Amino acid sequence: MPRILFGPALRILPIGLLALSLQRLVFAQHPVNDVKLQFVLAVVVAAGAVGGPDRGAVVGFVLGLLYDLSGTTPLGLVALAYGLGGMTAGYVHTLVSEPQWWMGSVFAIFGAAVGELSVPFLGQMIGDSGWITPRLLVQIPTVAIAAGLMTPALMPICRWMVGVKRKKWKVMVE
Amino acid sequence: MFASLSRRRVILLVVLTCVLLITLDKRGNPVIDRARGIFSTLIMRPVDTATNTIVLPLERAWDGIMNYDDLRKERDALYDQVQHMRGDDVKAQTAILEAQELLRVTELSSALGYTAVIAQVVGFSPSNFQSTVEINVGSSRGLKVGMPVTDGAGLIGRITKVFPDHSIVLLATDPSYAIAAQILATPEEAAKEAANAPRPTTPPSTSTTTTEPLPFDEPAVVTTTTSTIPPSTTTTIPQIIRETGALEGQGTGRPLVLRFTDSSSAVTSVREGAIVDTAGGNSSLAPHGIPIGIVTRVVTETGSSNAVVEVTLNARLDRLNFVSVLLYEPNQNAVGR
Repeated sequence: MPRILFGPALRILPIGLLALSLQRLVFAQHPVNDVKLQFVLAVVVAAGAVGGPDRGAVVGFVLGLLYDLSGTTPLGLVALAYGLGGMTAGYVHTLVSEPQWWMGSVFAIFGAAVGELSVPFLGQMIGDSGWITPRLLVQIPTVAIAAGLMTPALMPICRWMVGVKRKKWKVMVE
Repeated sequence: MFASLSRRRVILLVVLTCVLLITLDKRGNPVIDRARGIFSTLIMRPVDTATNTIVLPLERAWDGIMNYDDLRKERDALYDQVQHMRGDDVKAQTAILEAQELLRVTELSSALGYTAVIAQVVGFSPSNFQSTVEINVGSSRGLKVGMPVTDGAGLIGRITKVFPDHSIVLLATDPSYAIAAQILATPEEAAKEAANAPRPTTPPSTSTTTTEPLPFDEPAVVTTTTSTIPPSTTTTIPQIIRETGALEGQGTGRPLVLRFTDSSSAVTSVREGAIVDTAGGNSSLAPHGIPIGIVTRVVTETGSSNAVVEVTLNARLDRLNFVSVLLYEPNQNAVGR
């Protein structure tokens, strides 16, 4: 029971709520070049970068679900998109088992691009048209690069959130 | 977390759950709608409040550091804008007041039935001994010496000098000013007497525009609807003339004095609050019925039966702006006096 209560699954909620609140109160009110930076997505891709594709997908799903609940998007739409974003960022672990911070950032950029791009495409698929515009050419890179820049700072908290510890390497002395 | 599940199964689970939720939500599931409402009100609102408490001071500090110059410029620009708007507001209010004043002036002169020329006061007498004002119309608009001048409230004086494009008006308070005036009953007295008066069997021939003829048997009573009260009021009160006499100015800031032709009856019949207007007639400087003012004081002189009646002008002579010159040509003998 305590493991369930204090386990990673329940750490996601407070972090997710805080991230969502910051998104609504800070990032939504201070757009950069008319693009609202996505802090929640940055948390998701940072979690994917530190935890791998499966953890990234779950964190993306949970935080996306909160995003959907707080807004007007169909429930599950942003959850699916952010899940894909988190999963993409997590694929850095298929290259190296303990990625450097800059590698995490690079994959976070890809993950964020996938996550942000998935929202209008999934929306188009379920009938919410009008989201795919030429403006995406500015929007996606801005959101992705901002998420990549935020990722190194978010990695420690995301590591705690998903319950991953840094690997310690020991030199075997013969 | 999800240790018992393989990576592919976790991702598949996430995708399938999302698809299921999207499907349910797009079909309009009430449970999801309720969940959304509860989440927004019960969960996100307190979290937002807490976050705002922390973030807002930081945000303001950041704004203060990064945007100080811009904010200062913006504040200066806004301050400048406010000053301009205040100026515009004052201009607009002035325009409204002037329009209202102009309307009052024209209403009175049109009620008197004479052609009038509207003028604006452009100067005041520099002397302490003369009560005159200069107006911006003259002989080119038909003005002649002796013509009465009114504002919205009543008589203010007469023309004493005429130039082609401006004229000098001698105000009623000037000691050299005098005009034939009559004292009417107070409105209360007039209403009372009107109520007590017997109804006529035939309407009088003198009454032309009376809504309800109210004749009186007494010879000094004249009934007319040309009221001395402001034209906007619709009440019809008969004018009951108490006394007639010459109204003379006593200087700036002092009330006018009415000297009676028959002073014996004034003590008993004249009351404070009675209305004074021009008496008219061949030798008068102004036509009949221009409101002048009200009786403010009736004093019996010691050792005589004469009464001193002080009259305060309706018009505020210290605040003149628009005035109306009635194109009424008075008797030249009266003008010369």
